[in-house]
Amino acid sequence: MRIYNRYLLLMVFASCLINVALAFLGQKDLTVYFVVIVIAYLLITVLFIYFSPRTRRALSLVSMVFLAGFLVVVVLKVLEVVHF
Amino acid sequence: MKNNPYRLLGLGLVIGGAIFIPVAYFIINSIPLAAIALSSIMIGFTSIALSTARSQISPEASQMILETGMENIAALLEELGLNNKAIYLPSSMRTGNAQALIPLNGDIDIHRIKTKIPRRLIVRYGDKPNDMAIVVTAPGGSSFGRLDIKTGSTPSEIEQGISYVLTGLLDLAGSVEVHIIEGQLSIEVIGPRLHYENVWYYRCMGSPIASIAASIASDAIGKPIRIKEENYSKGRSRILLEVLE
Repeated sequence: MRIYNRYLLLMVFASCLINVALAFLGQKDLTVYFVVIVIAYLLITVLFIYFSPRTRRALSLVSMVFLAGFLVVVVLKVLEVVHF
Repeated sequence: MKNNPYRLLGLGLVIGGAIFIPVAYFIINSIPLAAIALSSIMIGFTSIALSTARSQISPEASQMILETGMENIAALLEELGLNNKAIYLPSSMRTGNAQALIPLNGDIDIHRIKTKIPRRLIVRYGDKPNDMAIVVTAPGGSSFGRLDIKTGSTPSEIEQGISYVLTGLLDLAGSVEVHIIEGQLSIEVIGPRLHYENVWYYRCMGSPIASIAASIASDAIGKPIRIKEENYSKGRSRILLEVLE
């Protein structure tokens, strides 16, 4: 199996597992799903070190976008805590 | 690039997810379903990013170019009646891309190579009149320039270098394991896409996968290397590299 297919399948598997687990735990906050999936994405991407430089650059760009989303969520949560 | 499957899959997932998120969140009022749609968008963007990995020329065209190059070298080897095993040279002994040296007369004493081998087809590597060889660019030799990691000389570092080229850059194998057995490098390539064939070219130069592994290992160790043995069974290629000292 191609390394890129393996990476994609692992992403799908991890996302499914996280969604099912959080749904099973009764999680009602969409941002929690997002944050956990972003962490899983970053971890899986770090594990696949043999990608070509071009692919790594493209994935880094996607990672940065996800990380920015992650930080926005964290900041909003912190502000929520500070205000109340 | 138009029919790139990763791009098509990515676009499908992103569009599907973007349509399904408001439906799941506002109409069905289900957070887990909205999370699935969100995951779909994220995986879609990842898939679009992966589409850059796919070469702009088709695998069939790449294979045709590889086979043409191999046929030309094979014709040269057969015409000259050369059946000596090629020696893969480290960067300290060659000029330019990864090179394989095929001696014209029997075995070669590697200590007779005093200077860098020039980029020519027929070269003299020693002082004696019979110290003649032909030099060809090793298959995949141009890809090593893209190695942005410095390959060290330990088995794990060599394994990392070979894995990077074979699985990441060229997608020719599933994974690679490297061991040192009695001073020789034993390389196990799991799930190789190109197999060893008992033809003149492979007997002399080794399979393309073995050639790439030998070139990287030679550069990493800094010594010339010869492919001693190569066989394929049960989805694994076993390559034994002899380090010439």
